[in-house]
Amino acid sequence: MAKSKMSKTKRRKIAIWSTVLVLSLSLALPLASYSIHWLGMSASAQDAKAVENPRNKFWNQVRDGTAGYSAVKGEGANVLMQPGGENWRQFRESPLLTMVPWAIVVMAVLLLLYHLLHGKNRLDVNGLSGRKVPRWNTFERLVHWVTAFSFIALAITGISMLLGKKLLIPLLGKAGFASWAAISLNVHNIIGPIFTIGIALMIIMWIWHNFPTVVDLKWFAKGGGLFGKAHPSAGRMNGGEKVWFWILMTLGVAVCISGVILVAPIYPQITIPGLDAARSMMQQASAVHAIAAVIWTAIALGHIYIGTAGTEGAIEGMATGYVSEEWARQHHDIWFDKMQREGKVLLPGEPRGAQSQAGTVYSRNT
Amino acid sequence: MKLKKKQQAERSNATPAPAGLLGEAINRRTFLRNSGITAGGAALAFTGGPSMMKKATAASTSPQAGVETEVIRSVCTHCSVGCGVMAEVQNGVWTGQEPDFDSPINMGAHCAKGASVREHGHGERRLKYPMKLVAGKWTQVSWDEAMGDITDQMMKIREESSPDSVYWLGSAKFNNEQAYLFRKFAAMWGTNNVDHQARICHSTTVAGVANTWGYGAMTNSYNDMQNSKAMFFIGSNAAEAHPVAMQHILKAKENGSKLIVVDPRFTRTAAHADQYVQMRPGTDVPVIWGILWHVFENGWEDKEFIQQRVYGMDQIREEVAKWTPDEVERVSGIPEATLKQAAQTMAENRPGTIVWCMGGTQHTIGNNNTRAYCAMQLALGNMGVSGGGANIFRGHDNVQGATDMCILSHSLPGYFGLSDGAWKHWSGVWGLETDWVRSRFDLDSYEKVKDKDVPTINRPGMPVSRWIDGVLEDPENIAQKDNIRAMVLWGHAPNSQTRLPEMKVAMEKLDLLVVIDPYPTHTAILPDRQDGMYLLPACTQFETSGSVTASNRSLQWRHKVIEPLFESLPDHTIMAKFADKFGFKDQMFKNIAMNGEEPVIEDVTREFNKGMWTIGYTGQSPERIKEHMEHRATFNEVTLKAEGGPLDGEYYGLPWPCWGTPEMKHPGTPNLYDTSKSVADGGLNFRARFGVEHEGTNLLAEGSYSLGAEIEDGYPEFTADMLKQLGWWDDLTDDEKASAEGKNWKTDVSGGIQRVAIEHGCAPFGNAKARAVVWTFPDPVPIHREPLYTPRRDLVADYPTYEDRKSHYRLPTRYASIQADDYSKDYPLIHTSGRLVEYEGGGDESRSNPWLAELQQDMFVEINPADANNIAIKDEQMVWLEGPEGGKIKAKAMVTNRVGRGVVFTPFHFGGHYEGEDMLAKYPEGAAPYVRGDADNTTMTYGYDSVTQMQESKVSLCKITAV
Amino acid sequence: MARMKFLCDADRCIECNGCVTACKNEHEVPWGVNRRRVITLDDGQPGEKSISVACMHCSDAPCQAVCPVDCFYTTDDGIVLHDKNLCIGCGYCFYACPFGAPQYPQQSSFGARGKMDKCTFCAGGPEDDMSQAEYEQYGRNRIAEGTLPLCAEMCSTKALIAGDGDEVADIYRERVLRRGGRPQTWGWDTAYEG
Repeated sequence: MAKSKMSKTKRRKIAIWSTVLVLSLSLALPLASYSIHWLGMSASAQDAKAVENPRNKFWNQVRDGTAGYSAVKGEGANVLMQPGGENWRQFRESPLLTMVPWAIVVMAVLLLLYHLLHGKNRLDVNGLSGRKVPRWNTFERLVHWVTAFSFIALAITGISMLLGKKLLIPLLGKAGFASWAAISLNVHNIIGPIFTIGIALMIIMWIWHNFPTVVDLKWFAKGGGLFGKAHPSAGRMNGGEKVWFWILMTLGVAVCISGVILVAPIYPQITIPGLDAARSMMQQASAVHAIAAVIWTAIALGHIYIGTAGTEGAIEGMATGYVSEEWARQHHDIWFDKMQREGKVLLPGEPRGAQSQAGTVYSRNT
Repeated sequence: MKLKKKQQAERSNATPAPAGLLGEAINRRTFLRNSGITAGGAALAFTGGPSMMKKATAASTSPQAGVETEVIRSVCTHCSVGCGVMAEVQNGVWTGQEPDFDSPINMGAHCAKGASVREHGHGERRLKYPMKLVAGKWTQVSWDEAMGDITDQMMKIREESSPDSVYWLGSAKFNNEQAYLFRKFAAMWGTNNVDHQARICHSTTVAGVANTWGYGAMTNSYNDMQNSKAMFFIGSNAAEAHPVAMQHILKAKENGSKLIVVDPRFTRTAAHADQYVQMRPGTDVPVIWGILWHVFENGWEDKEFIQQRVYGMDQIREEVAKWTPDEVERVSGIPEATLKQAAQTMAENRPGTIVWCMGGTQHTIGNNNTRAYCAMQLALGNMGVSGGGANIFRGHDNVQGATDMCILSHSLPGYFGLSDGAWKHWSGVWGLETDWVRSRFDLDSYEKVKDKDVPTINRPGMPVSRWIDGVLEDPENIAQKDNIRAMVLWGHAPNSQTRLPEMKVAMEKLDLLVVIDPYPTHTAILPDRQDGMYLLPACTQFETSGSVTASNRSLQWRHKVIEPLFESLPDHTIMAKFADKFGFKDQMFKNIAMNGEEPVIEDVTREFNKGMWTIGYTGQSPERIKEHMEHRATFNEVTLKAEGGPLDGEYYGLPWPCWGTPEMKHPGTPNLYDTSKSVADGGLNFRARFGVEHEGTNLLAEGSYSLGAEIEDGYPEFTADMLKQLGWWDDLTDDEKASAEGKNWKTDVSGGIQRVAIEHGCAPFGNAKARAVVWTFPDPVPIHREPLYTPRRDLVADYPTYEDRKSHYRLPTRYASIQADDYSKDYPLIHTSGRLVEYEGGGDESRSNPWLAELQQDMFVEINPADANNIAIKDEQMVWLEGPEGGKIKAKAMVTNRVGRGVVFTPFHFGGHYEGEDMLAKYPEGAAPYVRGDADNTTMTYGYDSVTQMQESKVSLCKITAV
Repeated sequence: MARMKFLCDADRCIECNGCVTACKNEHEVPWGVNRRRVITLDDGQPGEKSISVACMHCSDAPCQAVCPVDCFYTTDDGIVLHDKNLCIGCGYCFYACPFGAPQYPQQSSFGARGKMDKCTFCAGGPEDDMSQAEYEQYGRNRIAEGTLPLCAEMCSTKALIAGDGDEVADIYRERVLRRGGRPQTWGWDTAYEG
């Protein structure tokens, strides 16, 4: 009985301390071998060192990629062997890079299935009032579309270069594919920087609208209205758009920065001061670039679908800058209410120019 | 089939692949068919240039398919190793270079310079046309106009001053024939103011070594080092200066030979050494005496050898006794154990050889250093044996030959000197009256020797190292009529000379400055002149032919690869042009036929064959040298002896002395003073050059003689009288008797005396002891003297330099008055200099070769990390290096442990900048080298050897500051 | 069947750069591109060693594995060559190569590297053997002429050896036996067995 009377607190103490003990021992025991060294018991180890081939140090240095002197100048010229190359090659041939592109296919299939099974998300009303709400100003639309088309061009050329060896050479032949790959590379090199500027502008323009709020949680709880009839509340940006923004903010930035590193004229012949290890940096950049870009492309398919075929009336906003009152009410009710209060909703036939400044007065808190 | 190479002799080194493998090897056609490539241009559309190769260049110098290819055998024009070059020529264009596996010297190998000599056929940055400075601008002129202007001015100077006011500065880049003609040309102009780079390269070696045992040359050969059991390098960085020699050295090492490297720097050669000894620059004598101290202490000297063949070793022993291990460490910084180990290695591994280069020679006591090295080899009994000897690596490709032809202010060809007898001998060879030759000179006397007036014809002219002073010194102080007023730099890089700021002033003061060179050189940009300056394009040695003497005294024939590029001309043609203008062409070319404007080079060879009896340049007729080139595959790579073939038993290149006439077929002498062979088979003994006795001591050898000598003891040099005394006179033919009467082995132009002496197994030059003490030199026993600019002020009292001298080679020469001042406070670092493998000499040629220039693009200075930290300098930072005489240079800091603490090192190949400024605009258009930089000699200072006027460019002081 | 290999004997190499300029000479390689280079570790310190390195013509060549346009091919001799007509100058081979062999001519256009250039083992490229087109793009084809790479043939100390792997190994083994010590066939693990 006494045992069973052991207090709850005591049991908790035992549990905590035993956990701590197990954890600390598990850390300490593997380190115990070092104590042999500390205690000066590693005589045999030292002997082994003494009879070591004196040239070992040199060959170890070589294997470690230690830099030396070379009269030939250029990136990596003073390194005999770079271990990073083998890692990079393994990465290129790894399942990571061969499997990840399937994400694009999976995404495409899912969207197709959704579209077939669920169909387009239509407006719940019959007939439109004709009243319009200004949603994207001209500059925003310009940036969006330049970036969007750039993205498509980059995705196509990028995937061509990534997978062309397997997918396109059998179709085009080596010479044919080489021509396309050369075009792809140049397109990528020229459009990439433009795209990067677009991404940067988007972040500056829209970051204030994309901090998550409680409303977004509810929006997600209701599945964003993708399934069923419910239309969860949303401000100017709904939860889904915010997620897309933060993907752009993370993957997009990663792709752009790594891309700039790859496209920047760090020729192997030039060592840029401060960038001593341009080659290893480029290896890492290309890894980041490939993985992030492929995932991003897969997700972008979803964005494209929702913005075009998936949602009735969505394309209108980015195409014309205005959305219908009904669309706004259905997808962004909180924002619509605000716009209405502020008298920003245009009556049918009202000239749009009058509201040209609409984009600048959006509330940051909606 | 090109793959035959030297498989039989060189199995372990050549890398032949069986022909059969290669024949069926590459089958890219199959690959192409399978991959279905059609040569599509589309792929090229976007990614820039169509191909990486420069089409323009490729079209002009690339090999063309289906065009007949001629393979021409030549010799590399960079260093003294003498590597064979195989040039492939199509339609007169040098389109390819193949390894010369047949050459026993290099066996196909080349260093960076040798592997890129084909660029000479591109010549993009060459001096292409005669140029004249008009109002500060280079203007293209015709050869005729340039020659007319120059010779008119020279004749004017000759009349106003004297022939001595024109200085003829020749070159070790000349082949033997051109070198010989150049010395003859200066004589006909009437001056001894003629010199070349040997003065600032190995003059102290030649003087020191020749005065020790007879001849001033490398005694053995690169190849023979494979027989060495120990190799002692001091002041030589063969891995960078003579890379192909390393092939033999490393083979020797692999066969168990011990390699010791003594140097202030941990050089690329030191990296391969068994023992590296770091010394303070300028302490060679203490180091050698420190080693000999251990040798004598332990009785490791070769007593029998010394007794039989060495004079004066006791005096050396006395001096060595002063150099106790403690004192050696105090002066040189080397601990006792280190030197004892080196001494023991040398004692236990005989025969051992010693190698030295500019690290030993370029000092105010250079002649002491070289004689100390000799003394060490004599004490160890390492002389006159295969695997031993003093292997003095010379610098330029033909510096040995140019020295032998005596483009030197103190001698006529063959080291005959400037005595009346020498003039008589050579006038005879030239077929001229001695009086006519004399009449060309200023026959007044400007200095007394032993209270007797001596005309300039018998007095040494100014050395190249001092021509600056010949221009700038008060004419009252110089032993000729007037200052130097016209300079001809004929194949000379001024940036290889010290005191460049003063040279700039001198160049500006001259009435006339002429550069004759394939490149404009640093001279073109150094002075700020408006006029009175000409650049004349000489062609390179690949655009002419002639013989060239490698460091091991072997002569090789350099066949012409291509015709001279642009408007350049061969040097001997330019000499003929001058002679013509000066009016002594008929005399100068009396025995030499002309092919148009060009003297026939073989006739020149034949002429010097008739006069060079002293050092045996008489047996190497052009025909014999060419035959050796043709059959070079038959020579053994270690012994250099032909094994079978038409030249069976001869040594490659007929290394001099190749006694007697060509008809005598002497095989050449592979190793000097080697008594194990008969003289007829290339054996020798030490030369009887210094008399038969000195102060009552016998100088002739005792009980030592070359194999088969009929005089089984020492004997003096052969004369006609001696032949008669020996009863050998009648062995001469009647013609020989007529020629030999009253003559000696050096002056009998029939060669009879030499022939008979050798027939009786004797060396024509006698059989004597080597002398370890040169009583005619300022320091008979080599002693240590601190450099003029020394950081060790505490040693100056114990080891002071010489007193200033009033006239040394016509010029006052300062020693003590410079050493008296302490510069070490403001200039705390020792500044030393040396070579890089990619460049040669002043570097104008190699820095104009893009294949080489790309590899060394910046002038740099090596600084020890500790010194760099003291002055807060980081690696690759630009710094100013300033010398105590005020010159300064800008260079990139290379922080490295290669140099010891307190020592900085700079390469001397850079030029084209002056005190930090790029002088690109001062070059003629399109003729500037690809790489330019400050010349380190801008900061190198005063200091000249007491015997030869060798410049001190291995020890100076400097300070370094951040830019 | 010959298997062409390079071997650099670190105990012989003196960093004279003869191999570098021999290559420049033979193929008229422009400034900025170096198919071969010499690297010195522990420069200026005891233990200093130099090694000449170029394309090692690997058995399982990383460049070939990562090339997006598949422009590399291995000859029957084991020589790894590439087709410049296919190359797009992406730089992947440079990232992957353990030896830093791929080189790119410097071009002014933004981001473009130009077509990759590397050591061909003096075996040219896919164009007709010893044709002008082959010379202009890849340099001379010594293998077709029946000779070996010039860098090795001209090596000043015979440190760099090229040729059939078995023969190269024999030459080297003989040297090692003479010197004593273990063989140090630099780079062979990575290039040929790895």
